[in-house]
Amino acid sequence: MDDLFDSSLNLEDTHYKEGYDEGYSHGLVTGKEEARQVGLKVGFEVGEELGFYRGCVDIWTTAIQLDPTCFSPRATKIIGQLEELIQKYPLMDPENVQVQEIMDSLRLKFKMVCSSLHVKLEYNGYPKSSTEANDIQF
Amino acid sequence: MEGRFAEELYAESLQLSKLELTSTSADDQENKANVCDGDDLSLWDESDDKLESSSDLDREWQRRHDQFHTIGYRDGLIAGKEAAAQEGFNFGFKQSVLDGHSWGVVRGVTSAFSHLPHQLKERLIETQKKRNELLGLYESVHSLSTTDCLRLFSEEIKAQEALEQSEHSEVSHHTAGLQEQPSHGSELRNYREQLESLIRDSPAIDIHLPKPK
Repeated sequence: MDDLFDSSLNLEDTHYKEGYDEGYSHGLVTGKEEARQVGLKVGFEVGEELGFYRGCVDIWTTAIQLDPTCFSPRATKIIGQLEELIQKYPLMDPENVQVQEIMDSLRLKFKMVCSSLHVKLEYNGYPKSSTEANDIQF
Repeated sequence: MEGRFAEELYAESLQLSKLELTSTSADDQENKANVCDGDDLSLWDESDDKLESSSDLDREWQRRHDQFHTIGYRDGLIAGKEAAAQEGFNFGFKQSVLDGHSWGVVRGVTSAFSHLPHQLKERLIETQKKRNELLGLYESVHSLSTTDCLRLFSEEIKAQEALEQSEHSEVSHHTAGLQEQPSHGSELRNYREQLESLIRDSPAIDIHLPKPK
């Protein structure tokens, strides 16, 4: 009787393992492609936002070089801080634990400098369009 | 002599024939005995039982196989996807982040410039013509949302991958073909090239525009 049950359990385990191995190999393929799609979308969005700040700072820095007093001392200081944060951002390292913290600081400093410069520059790529972007397939 | 030989031959045949008849008769008797006892029917019934039992076992085995195989497949699929998720995400992220960054720089430069005080605009870009071109570029760029850009970029990626497959196919066939880049997929690239062209003539401006691949 024990032998009978052992045989039955072993058989079930064999079936399960066959299914598991098959599912795992399919999961590797489909999972990687699905995750790549998400990575493409997020990568473009993150790159675009950081590039936006990069582009703004480039223009402001050039202006300061031409005329060091063109902006208020407060604005000039914040632009410098933005520069530091942009350089600190690990663009090619999406797993870095610091990315969210640095991005939050960038967004905050950017709002501060726009306020100081009295301009209504907005990065309008985030966050509302992220839901719309879900429809896009690469 | 001849008479004796013939007689002997005949005698042997007769004896063999008798033996056969005896044997047949014995078999008949045995058969009758079986029928009377019902053993034959019982044997037939057993045969039927065995067949039914075999079918049942097959169905039970298949049912259990399907059940446990399905459960295992589902668990394996989830585990496989989880194992591949980070690698897949990182791969896709790195494929797109620099293109997104370039596009973002175009957005940032044109936006920041368009909002500068007039005298600063004149100092950064000296000619009215080029200032107007940059402001025109700003209008074009500003009208595209991130969703629009993602769609354009998506088309660009698909076109690029289709091109690579096409090239791979051609190489394997030992043929050389000139492939043209689809123009609709290069809209983002065109904007970047416009910006690069404008900036190139303004030495004062130093922007961090990554090199195209």
